[in-house]
Amino acid sequence: MKIGFLINPIAGMGGSVGLKGTDGLADEALNRGARPIALERAKKCMHELNADSFILTCSDEMGEAAVLNQNYEVVYSFEGTSTNDDTKTACKLFLDKGAELLLFCGGDGTARDVYSVVGNDIPILGIPAGVKMHSAVFAISPKSAAKLVELFVEGKTELRDAEVMDTDEEAYRRNELRMKVFGYASTPYEPVLVQQGKSLFQSVSEEGAKEEIAKFACEFMIPEELYILGAGTTIHKIAELLGLSDEKTLLGVDAVKNGKVVGKDLNERELLQLLEHEPRTRILVSPIGAQGFVFGRGNQQLSAEVIEKVGVENVIVLATPQKLMETPVLMVDTGSDELDEQLSGYMSVVCGYRLAQRKEVRSG
Amino acid sequence: MNEKVKILLDEEEIPKAWYNIQADMPSPLDPPINPATMEPVKPDDLAPIFPMELIKQEMTTERWIPIPEEVREVYRLWRPSPLYRALRLEKKLKTPAKIYYKWEGVSPPGSHKPNTAIAQAYYNMKDGIERIATETGAGQWGSALAFGTMLFGLKCTVYMVGASYDRKPYRKVMMEMWNAELYRSPSKNTEFGRKILAEDPDTPGSLGIAISEGVEDAATHDDTHYALGSVLNHVMLHQSVIGLEAKKAFEQIDEYPDVIYGCVGGGSNFFGSCSPFVADKLKGDKPDLKVVGCEPRACPTLTKGLYQYDFGDCAEMTPLIKMFTLGHTFVPPPIHAGGLRYHGDAPLLCKLVKDGWIDAVAYHQNEVFKAAKLFAETEGIIIAPETAHEVKAVIDEALRCKEEGKEEVIFFNNSGHGHFDMGSYDVFLRGKLVDYEYPAELVKQSLAKVPKVE
Repeated sequence: MKIGFLINPIAGMGGSVGLKGTDGLADEALNRGARPIALERAKKCMHELNADSFILTCSDEMGEAAVLNQNYEVVYSFEGTSTNDDTKTACKLFLDKGAELLLFCGGDGTARDVYSVVGNDIPILGIPAGVKMHSAVFAISPKSAAKLVELFVEGKTELRDAEVMDTDEEAYRRNELRMKVFGYASTPYEPVLVQQGKSLFQSVSEEGAKEEIAKFACEFMIPEELYILGAGTTIHKIAELLGLSDEKTLLGVDAVKNGKVVGKDLNERELLQLLEHEPRTRILVSPIGAQGFVFGRGNQQLSAEVIEKVGVENVIVLATPQKLMETPVLMVDTGSDELDEQLSGYMSVVCGYRLAQRKEVRSG
Repeated sequence: MNEKVKILLDEEEIPKAWYNIQADMPSPLDPPINPATMEPVKPDDLAPIFPMELIKQEMTTERWIPIPEEVREVYRLWRPSPLYRALRLEKKLKTPAKIYYKWEGVSPPGSHKPNTAIAQAYYNMKDGIERIATETGAGQWGSALAFGTMLFGLKCTVYMVGASYDRKPYRKVMMEMWNAELYRSPSKNTEFGRKILAEDPDTPGSLGIAISEGVEDAATHDDTHYALGSVLNHVMLHQSVIGLEAKKAFEQIDEYPDVIYGCVGGGSNFFGSCSPFVADKLKGDKPDLKVVGCEPRACPTLTKGLYQYDFGDCAEMTPLIKMFTLGHTFVPPPIHAGGLRYHGDAPLLCKLVKDGWIDAVAYHQNEVFKAAKLFAETEGIIIAPETAHEVKAVIDEALRCKEEGKEEVIFFNNSGHGHFDMGSYDVFLRGKLVDYEYPAELVKQSLAKVPKVE
């Protein structure tokens, strides 16, 4: 199997020297004494990797330097300092050469660059090496990335949707946290057999789990009530079942009432306006990204004011068992300490048809 | 102070008759309904799969049903089971309450299940039946029936849920040691199994499928009957042997419980251990006795279910029975107390809960496993995750007694060991146990939209 592999050699350098990212700041980071870490982490992964695979990669520290022990071919050579244009060009070449998986080593910025080219054509998997890793495409360590690649090659993984998230780096350096979901990549995971006690043992596929959740949601949604639907593929599945597949935005916050979309990709002001006239509203959201933020990352339009107006008791959180397993604790960061406190503690999260899990919620 | 830890009865004190609470119920049970005719089920409807003596026991309102001497003879292998005083747990909790438990884990299969398996095997043998077909999920019931049928010279065919068959090899070996014939369900042995396999050769199976295979096997072979390990009235009857012995043991030390706890899956171990005490409450002799069924939050039948007629199985093969139910299509989440994953409960238990004689409470998995850990640390026994539900309730009650300075007598039925559940305890110890819940409010909302059929 052909695997596209690249390293963003400057990823992660900003972190140790107090920069909130490294994009466009590699020289500054080096001046501050940062040492490249991405290559080392990529080597760790490749040292572990023992799969029946052929690596398509880039020259020098963008790839080749880490794969000398593997079967490989350099399909792209960069010159000077590598930039995100090099990442994108390499991805395009990997696709052209028939790569079936794209393994990259970097952070959120790299994930975003890779995703912008690869989209959902093939699965992507990240070896974590960046300053920021909010995206859900990263393995938990270089070693576990190697394990996942092996399982993928053996056909023993399943695929799940993973948020590709990044911050506005300019704002981030001013200590303003603005997260944005750029899209949903496809990433492999190892299905864990779940003991189903007396009845059966089965791992439900991500798609199956989303369908169950959506089926239940469509059952409990009442006419005449307004539903604010958050972003993501889990919530989008509800819209699909309601027959609103084309109208609900994947990345935005929309409003539905009586089976119709009454507001699309709404911002905070529009949401507040809409709420003026509604006696009862519910918010349906799914945690976003690897850290499991219910509010405050990527959906800032669901502000403290909006949530308070709807009422904490009318917030319904939904997530697949796989996602809940990967996020031991859910997070909230609404900007209001008081509201964060109200939302913290334990929350019942719908995770299947007539099924929920109790999850701990902390303020982030 | 030399307080007794074990209160033991003589073998001669094994009860000579089972107690049937139907004789003392203020109002009778609603009958099971044949879904084909919508008429109450008649004995003949059940005759193809059950022996007539068990069908009679299912329907009788006689107070005492004699235990055949041959059954008592087998009971002697482990009965009377000891009544323990949990002194070490009391000490650890610093509670003034006295905690007693009946220990059913001393039976060869390790749980209360053989109390009825032995009786059911016996009556089938008397009926000239040569083989019993049944299903098993986690394996407790299959083990008990394999044991029971072997002792009475019957063959036993167990349809074991496929994934469980693959993942619990030692349960399988246990049943084979007792000469049972095992099939990984769905199997090629039945029409229904073959149909399922043709649709999905890789299916891990389910309890619903395994039940259907067992029933089909029994219904299509003249020499074969079917057996069920809980829910039915005759199972509740056989399990009364636990409560009757406990009552005698309490008399011996001149005590009587103030509160009784038990875990509820189908309800048989709890009901069997409490029904002779509940009788005193029904008669007005013990008006303050508190009796509480403990169930998982993930499958809260008694605490969140609706009291109505429903099928006993997912495949709609059983009669309609009046009970608390979460709906026969409800598939309980993958909790580790597999024995408590049932959408309904025994009609007898449900009726007494409905009429306010028995209470119910529900717990999350993690708190339950934590209670089991404390029990193992103090009393030594590693209990089944099912049993841990009532231990959680007992610990809470003992702590309440401490706060209020009350010297209550607490009793529970310690229904079995957890030696085949180490995988589950491992998950707990690694902090990976999921606290599943039944989203009752949202379900209620969704049900309100569904048009009522009745």
